[in-house]
Amino acid sequence: MTAIARMALLDLRTVAPYRRQGLVLFGLVVLLFANRSAVVLVPALVLLVTSQIAAYPFLVSDKAGLETLYAVLPLPRRSVLYGHYAWAVGCFLATAAAGTALAVVFARVEAVPFGGRTLLNVLAVSWALFAVSVAIQFPLFIRFGYSRISVLGTTLPLAVVTLAVVRLRLTLTSIEAWVPLLWPAGVAAIVISATVAMTADHRRVR
Amino acid sequence: MSSDLAFALRGVSTAVGSNFALRDVSFQLPTGYVMGLIGANGAGKTTTIRCLLGMRPVETGEIELLGHRVPGPVSLRQDVGVVLDHTYLVGDWRLAEVERALRPFYDRWDGARYRQLLDEFGLDLLAKVKDLSRGMAVKLMITVALSHHARLLVLDEPTSGLDPVTRDELSGIIGDFLIDEGHSVLFSTHITSDLDHIGDYLTLIHDGRIVRTGTKDEILEAYRVVRGGPHDLTESAGAHLIGVRRTSTAAQALVRTEEAGLLGGDVLVEAPTLEEIAVHVGAGSQSRRGAGRHQPEPSLSTGEIK
Repeated sequence: MTAIARMALLDLRTVAPYRRQGLVLFGLVVLLFANRSAVVLVPALVLLVTSQIAAYPFLVSDKAGLETLYAVLPLPRRSVLYGHYAWAVGCFLATAAAGTALAVVFARVEAVPFGGRTLLNVLAVSWALFAVSVAIQFPLFIRFGYSRISVLGTTLPLAVVTLAVVRLRLTLTSIEAWVPLLWPAGVAAIVISATVAMTADHRRVR
Repeated sequence: MSSDLAFALRGVSTAVGSNFALRDVSFQLPTGYVMGLIGANGAGKTTTIRCLLGMRPVETGEIELLGHRVPGPVSLRQDVGVVLDHTYLVGDWRLAEVERALRPFYDRWDGARYRQLLDEFGLDLLAKVKDLSRGMAVKLMITVALSHHARLLVLDEPTSGLDPVTRDELSGIIGDFLIDEGHSVLFSTHITSDLDHIGDYLTLIHDGRIVRTGTKDEILEAYRVVRGGPHDLTESAGAHLIGVRRTSTAAQALVRTEEAGLLGGDVLVEAPTLEEIAVHVGAGSQSRRGAGRHQPEPSLSTGEIK
């Protein structure tokens, strides 16, 4: 197992004691969007649940002093940071998989067509939302620590996404032409964010 | 780099904010021994340890740890166990989860030893980290350090807040750890009695500077406690009084052994305890807090640091 994978696993262990809260949040969002369009469910889960769960290791780290643990473990600092991103991508994949399964079920119950191209578009948009969220949040958490920046770190990605949707009048139809770009754009955002996080880490406020 | 040394700091300086700095810190520990790092709160013990572990960059100087220059390879941390005055684990982890979380990082993790030590220390695998008492938490951190077969144990104030029975137990644990000749311990404390039985080497630190370092016997031999009337202890005789305490009826201070003879015949000269050395050497920090009657020992030149 690589050092990054071990770190991502440590993030999973870090949030594991709080899995019930994560499941409750997941359930609430599902309930909230269950009787709306199945198309919205996955992006909503990614934006409202994944971003919270992915950031949770930072919260626990602040409370428990895990930065000391990371410094004591035989683990390069770079792997600690990249491991956080790997954990976040894992969160996205899990949420997207579960959300997609539920969306398919809801679509069938409502007899609404949901699959093929629509599903790919939904997943691409969800990935872009996730990438924007993580790309903004993580460098802030790494630079300032979760507790110092939690409100801004949580609301800023939502504000950016909302502003983009409103100002550009984005819908799933209007964005269809951009869909092929969303996957690489999301990857680029995360790579740039991780690079910024590495720089921010050297100057972080401890 | 010397393979005979557990660690060595040579001329290490680093600033911590605008009010405190380690200045020209030099001391070393041969492999197989216990060193006590003694100083009052705020003397620089934790900063020194953070520098040693590579957790804080140094501005000048050089640090050697287990034969490697710090910052060394990450694999070096396989050989170092770190016990701080607080746990740095998720409070909601049960002790079984602590093992599951840490095991992937250590090549020589010994799960059987982890469970055996927990059992010996009376720690329940199902207990949560946050529910452990202070003494139990220290035992847990030692268990973790011993379970990955660390060669060097670094303990930062592990006994503060512990009752005497637990402190004695801790001494026993360290004694067992040292049965292997390749094992060494750095133990920072302001409770000098912890080192009465297990300390081989001592380093006195005050206000970010090393006051003296050497074997315990050398340190004990280097100073004398002098007692006399309020006017008996003066520096006019040429002896430098360290951390002098005066009341209306008596005075007491520490002097370097070679200077004790310079004081008058009315002065009582006695061998000091470790605690007396620590108290007088650390008196500078007391006087800054307003006691006002203490005169701290000035920093010694590196020539006087062994």
